[in-house]
Amino acid sequence: MRRQMARVSRRGLLKSAAGIGAAAALGAPMFVPGRVLGKDGAVPTGERITLGAIGIGNRGSYVLRCFLEENDVQCLAVCDVNGQHRDRAKAAVDARYGNQDCATYRDLREMLARSDLDAVIVATGPNWNGTAACQAARAGKDIYCEKPCTKNIAQSLMLAEVMRRTGRVFQAGTQRRSLPHFIYAVELARTGKLGKLQTLHAQPAGLATKTSGWEKPDPEPAKEDFDWDIYLGPAAWRPFNKGLTNAFEFEKGGGLVGGGCLEWGSHCVDLCQWANDADGTAPIEYEPVGNQLHATYANGVKLVLRDDGWLPLGSCPVRFEGDRGWVETADDGDVAASPAKLLSGRRQKIGGYPANFHVRNFLDCVKTRAQPRANADAACWAHIACHAANISLFLKRKVRFDPAKHEFINDDEANRLRSEALREPWRW
Amino acid sequence: MFRRTSPFVMALLIGSAMRAAAADAPAAAPPQRQEELIKVLQSDAPKPQKALACKYLAIYGGKEAVPALAALLSDQELAAWARIGLEAIPDSSVDDALRDAMDKLQGRLLVGVINSISVRRDAKAIDGLAAKLTDKDETVSSCAAAALGHIGGDRAAQVLEPQLTAAAPAVRAAAAEGCVLCAERYLNEGNDARAIALYDAVRKAQVPRQRVLEGIRGAILARHSAGIPLLVEQLKSSDKAIMGIGLRTARELRGDDVTDALIAELGRADAERQALLILALADRNDPPRVRPVVLEAARSGAPGVRVAAAGVLDRLGDVSCVPVLVEAAASDDADLVQAAKTSLARLPGKDVDASLLARLNDSSGKARQVLIELAEQRKLDQAMPIFLKSAEDADAGARNAALTAIGAIGDDKQVPDLVKLLPQAKDANDRRAIEQAVASIGGRWGAACVPHLVPLAKGEGGVSADTRIAAIHALVPCGGPDALASVVAATSDADPAVQDEAVRTLSTWPNRWPTDAAAAQPLLALARSAQKPAHRVLAVRGYLQYVQGDKKLSPQQRLADVDAILPQITRPDEKRLVIATLFGMASAGALDRLTTLASADPAVTEEACSAIVRLAGRNNIGASNELRRKALQTVVEKSKSEATRNKAQEILKGIR
Repeated sequence: MRRQMARVSRRGLLKSAAGIGAAAALGAPMFVPGRVLGKDGAVPTGERITLGAIGIGNRGSYVLRCFLEENDVQCLAVCDVNGQHRDRAKAAVDARYGNQDCATYRDLREMLARSDLDAVIVATGPNWNGTAACQAARAGKDIYCEKPCTKNIAQSLMLAEVMRRTGRVFQAGTQRRSLPHFIYAVELARTGKLGKLQTLHAQPAGLATKTSGWEKPDPEPAKEDFDWDIYLGPAAWRPFNKGLTNAFEFEKGGGLVGGGCLEWGSHCVDLCQWANDADGTAPIEYEPVGNQLHATYANGVKLVLRDDGWLPLGSCPVRFEGDRGWVETADDGDVAASPAKLLSGRRQKIGGYPANFHVRNFLDCVKTRAQPRANADAACWAHIACHAANISLFLKRKVRFDPAKHEFINDDEANRLRSEALREPWRW
Repeated sequence: MFRRTSPFVMALLIGSAMRAAAADAPAAAPPQRQEELIKVLQSDAPKPQKALACKYLAIYGGKEAVPALAALLSDQELAAWARIGLEAIPDSSVDDALRDAMDKLQGRLLVGVINSISVRRDAKAIDGLAAKLTDKDETVSSCAAAALGHIGGDRAAQVLEPQLTAAAPAVRAAAAEGCVLCAERYLNEGNDARAIALYDAVRKAQVPRQRVLEGIRGAILARHSAGIPLLVEQLKSSDKAIMGIGLRTARELRGDDVTDALIAELGRADAERQALLILALADRNDPPRVRPVVLEAARSGAPGVRVAAAGVLDRLGDVSCVPVLVEAAASDDADLVQAAKTSLARLPGKDVDASLLARLNDSSGKARQVLIELAEQRKLDQAMPIFLKSAEDADAGARNAALTAIGAIGDDKQVPDLVKLLPQAKDANDRRAIEQAVASIGGRWGAACVPHLVPLAKGEGGVSADTRIAAIHALVPCGGPDALASVVAATSDADPAVQDEAVRTLSTWPNRWPTDAAAAQPLLALARSAQKPAHRVLAVRGYLQYVQGDKKLSPQQRLADVDAILPQITRPDEKRLVIATLFGMASAGALDRLTTLASADPAVTEEACSAIVRLAGRNNIGASNELRRKALQTVVEKSKSEATRNKAQEILKGIR
């Protein structure tokens, strides 16, 4: 079915243009305050971006709400292995549009086969996010994908490659790239206001790696209530266990080295990557030091993952230090810096890490086909940095990584941890 | 831009692992560890143990582990675990085992094996995979087609290309995916002609729309400059997806001639397409070539086109763009104004700063307001004299913009100037704008601003109560002992309005970063001795905020602080705050005080009992069993909630 080109509103262009415009300073689109595309006027149904949502638990529901607030979005379908999630999401979507039209799916393949969906939310949890995103791209959908987006280094690279090959728009759910205080801090780092960048600090929210396993079986629910087989998806088979049904935690990172710094690292390390103008690479050395993980980029900049010693500015803090000053910020929306002059001109404060701006950036890029702020390449390398850090933590020793070859240097143990087979029938 | 060095990730990873293993073979597989893991697989060990053994063999396994792992490929529950081990082992015996399994398995298990072969890019499997293309199970045949694509090379391409027309629709889609993968590999190897042939075959085949788009993209990129006509053709399409792949590819295809062609197309396109093309052109990172046409679009394009063009000029522009952008920024079109301002704020260059400053000097009215805002956003310290002058401008817009700018980029040196303005404020709005400007500076420069504000807060010079209150407000973000002392002094001021505001200010004095716990004692004093009941209530609330928020307090000190305020608390609302504070403390002392509160005031008995039940059930609060029993017994006696009483009794039973 051929569909006519969606009209792009002036406001959409404004946002896109302005957002992309900041790339001059940051090499990536930046937050621009102002009214939101389509918010102020009705968008005819036929010109809206048609949406499906895959994985609509707690986080997925929140992200879906952000999309539903946009007037140029029409959500047509929701998909989840959990029947309660499906019913709840359908009710929310139908209430938004005042009809009963939202279709529900248990199997993402059936939903992705629809030719009338432009884009999908993927919020399936770390086990599924990367695989589902690649499936969606191959099915011709643009993707807003929650983090962590990948389970290992190989999947990170594959994700970027699939998005490039398919030409799909991909936005990782690292919404702090669209929040003004984080952008402000990154801009100070990238424009030389801190002097020569020396050390970046990121909060990992835990550095203990986990090995996923096989728990004692519980009675398996009916597929309509909870489809265990699809829930397992690319993860190796194990019997149903109620304790494993928290998709937010299940197989986080997967393999032998899940967990670790992935939880916040996919946000905070991502911001450090951005601050260091390192969206296309990753640190080359990683080493556990006490209760921290230290890494070093090829340009000499240090990356420190630590959970303590932060200013009380809220969750998900980052700190960038140069030889002429430092800046620290977190989810409260406040920014601390030295010298104080660095804070001149900062006016806007938004706390609480809302995803609305990030969602808006994604929708604008769906229309213009520009790269969103947290595009697949940026997400790929931020995740690689986290996975490499986790491998170092798992092996309890220093590892050296070659970003050009995508391999650890003279380190067979670490290299074998870069990928993991997917359970049949799933593939990348 | 298009990357010719697409990684073909898995192949590279597995290949490099194999190379690394060849170099470091003795260290790669500790024999003892491997032996133990293999024994687990060959034993009657429970499946969970075997599953984990498979995972560890991904690190420690060598060719010795392959037979034991391969034996599990037909096990429905363990096959994927086995492949986790097998895929990672850098030895050719794995490929032999997978090929062998491909001949024996069916259905999902076969699909899994084919996918592992795909990941390992086993060229010896091509004939076997080709045979699977006609498997009656379309999942098998589709996976075989994709695997052939991942393996790539002439033989794989020769097998796949005919499938674009011959295979069943579902398999055809996978064959197209395989052809795109093969073409990409050809392109990376410099075999453009073969890549073009495959991409063209895909884009012309009856395959799903997404595959066609991938074929189009590849066909354009593989042709390089010769792909321009094909690119332009897509950009003219009325089909959203086709136009979309054109826009994406327009950002990837390199070459000045490509940029020129896109610029030429810009002249032929309608307004809507022009805007999209401008955004794509801007992403090509070629300012000298693109700037003139975008600047012209910003000057004279259709309204939407002007917005798009103005919005990208920060990346493309230079000082020559300033006049057009300034005019746009002062226009009546809100979208255009925002786009132009954004670009002007970011347009790089000291010559841009100089141009804006010169214009600011000569400006008036709305233009002056816009230029002040821009000078602020560009942090032009040189504009400060103009800001200060404009802070007294007759035009309210310019005045407000100037005060905002002073607040945003000023330092402590500007505070005296602002302080002078405060008594002269024309109205409440002006006073608020001045107050906010001082507060903004105070938030950054802290104590350095305080000496300028203290005299005003005291009322020196006979300033009005409004001015004094504004000064008190402005002291808050400055923080520090002098600011605090000034506010504390004002809590006993003779002027009731000043006194009220000082108490309100003190009761919300920051007790987190920047930390200033010294507010606690004056708050306690006010709670004890303030004459107005409202002041005592505010003081109690402020004090409890401090007790809850000051992370430096030891548990003992925190409890002592609560004890100090308890006699002053008479209203249930504040008692509830105390209960919440005590509950957050989670200590034996807190439990004791909660017990007292539960008995002392029926208005808060239920809240206290609820907190007791939740605390007394925990073993980590350091409370003796005697204290826990006493607290819970109080709940049983006092609570009117059956559920709470039952819970208390249940916990009581568990205390020995």
